[in-house]
Amino acid sequence: MFFYGFMQRAFQASFLISLIAPILGLFLILRRQSLMADTLSHVSLAGVALGLLLGVDPTWTNILVVGIVAVLLEYLRMVYRTYSEISIAMLMSGGMAVALVLMSLNESGANMSINQFLFGSIVTISQQQIWLLLMLTVAIGLLYIIFRKPMYILTFDEDTAFTAGLPVKTMSILFNVLTGVTIAVVMPIVGALLVSAIIVLPAAISMRLSKSFNGVILIGIIIAIVGMLSGLIGSYQYGTPPGASITLIFISIFALTSLGKKLFSRVRQERLNGRRDLTGDISQTK
Amino acid sequence: MQYIKVDDLAFHYEDEPVLENISFEVNSGDFVMLTGENGAAKTTLLRNILGLLKPSRGSVSLSRENRWGTDLVVGYVPQQVSSFNAGFPSTVLELVQSGRYPRGKWFKKLDKEDKEHVRRSLESVGMWDMRHKKIGELSGGQKQRISLARVFATDPDLFVLDEPTTGMDIHSREEFYKLLKHNSEEHGKGILMVTHDHEELRHYANKHIELIRKEDSPWRCFSMDSCKEPSKHHSSSR
Repeated sequence: MFFYGFMQRAFQASFLISLIAPILGLFLILRRQSLMADTLSHVSLAGVALGLLLGVDPTWTNILVVGIVAVLLEYLRMVYRTYSEISIAMLMSGGMAVALVLMSLNESGANMSINQFLFGSIVTISQQQIWLLLMLTVAIGLLYIIFRKPMYILTFDEDTAFTAGLPVKTMSILFNVLTGVTIAVVMPIVGALLVSAIIVLPAAISMRLSKSFNGVILIGIIIAIVGMLSGLIGSYQYGTPPGASITLIFISIFALTSLGKKLFSRVRQERLNGRRDLTGDISQTK
Repeated sequence: MQYIKVDDLAFHYEDEPVLENISFEVNSGDFVMLTGENGAAKTTLLRNILGLLKPSRGSVSLSRENRWGTDLVVGYVPQQVSSFNAGFPSTVLELVQSGRYPRGKWFKKLDKEDKEHVRRSLESVGMWDMRHKKIGELSGGQKQRISLARVFATDPDLFVLDEPTTGMDIHSREEFYKLLKHNSEEHGKGILMVTHDHEELRHYANKHIELIRKEDSPWRCFSMDSCKEPSKHHSSSR
């Protein structure tokens, strides 16, 4: 399996996605935008359909469409500040509708390609996509290192960030666009239906395991690497869709860590109670 | 030096008038308390001053510079119960350290002096021993304390505090007021604080602004007196 070119590319892509997913995932969760990834992945189908209809590389139309919608999402989030899910619902259904209309206009065999984007496929990864993903990973890594502190304050509380002099609106828009571009690049690999799970789940798991902000990112990256690579191997061995296999592995890790954490706190509590009983016995003996 | 100037401010929520005829100043060295009954739009006024809301009429100017001629640093503590992001994955130390970022440390490492500021701030609110705890594991009162520690770590030129003593016992409140008074008198900091503890705070603050509603008008109006003349204040505000 490791000697096939397409599998090597799949492993390279999985590793790169593992490095960026927990960073974006953590900020999305903390900004209460977990569903934004899902919305953008639906919208990205419209980008793909547009590319196929125009006969150009769908990656670029995808990046363009998702980038525009990411800006629109921030605008709608401001308009519907109290009910920010409205923007999610509106754009998710709108994106899907546009994708379906564009697909119906395309009389050549575009449905096959759309299926590849919906569910993801290892064989669709080209060397060009690996390079694109590598550039994106380097960009996100650098942006995280440079803007970690402003993003920390922005995600903690936007009002505090504003009074500290940060350009809250610009930062939010740029973050949305970066998320959109990432989804557009990652979607052909893991599939539109599961892209948000792969971005959000590693961060969601590591948030339960680490006390510190950097700790969440580091543990998230380790979880993402384990989940992505084992999911990929499982998918190859059993012929299952890679996106679905990886997501199921993440959900299993989530269940196992939750159970482990519960058991650990129970044992710790029992030990503490035992110590208290012992101290009580000693003081009574005295 | 003038840090805040509010001139004939009015604010409407859609068509409903909320604030009207608001004018006052907060200068370097002022300790101003802002009071008013529940629903008197005190927080709305603070948010107008900070630029989080736009006045419907009149103007608010927040100085760009402090009295030393460098950039004015504002330390804002919002009303805690509603705004504290309790699920945020951060230790107490990380959060309080973030208070140093606006002090030119957005893209630089915190140095020895920053860490000393953070230590002193955490000690001043009695939270140094809890520094490695996750903020979500703290009680309401402890969260309040670390928010204050964070703002003290910033060492701002202007403190804007929205009911910062909610959930504090009387001893802690008095210690906190003393610390603020020291900051305004000895270090020339400007302080604007929303509070319900008018009777306690009048011994420390040097100005009092009260938001009131006149019987013949739906607008919120404003009165301002020196705390050293409480009798005059009561007669003019009602």
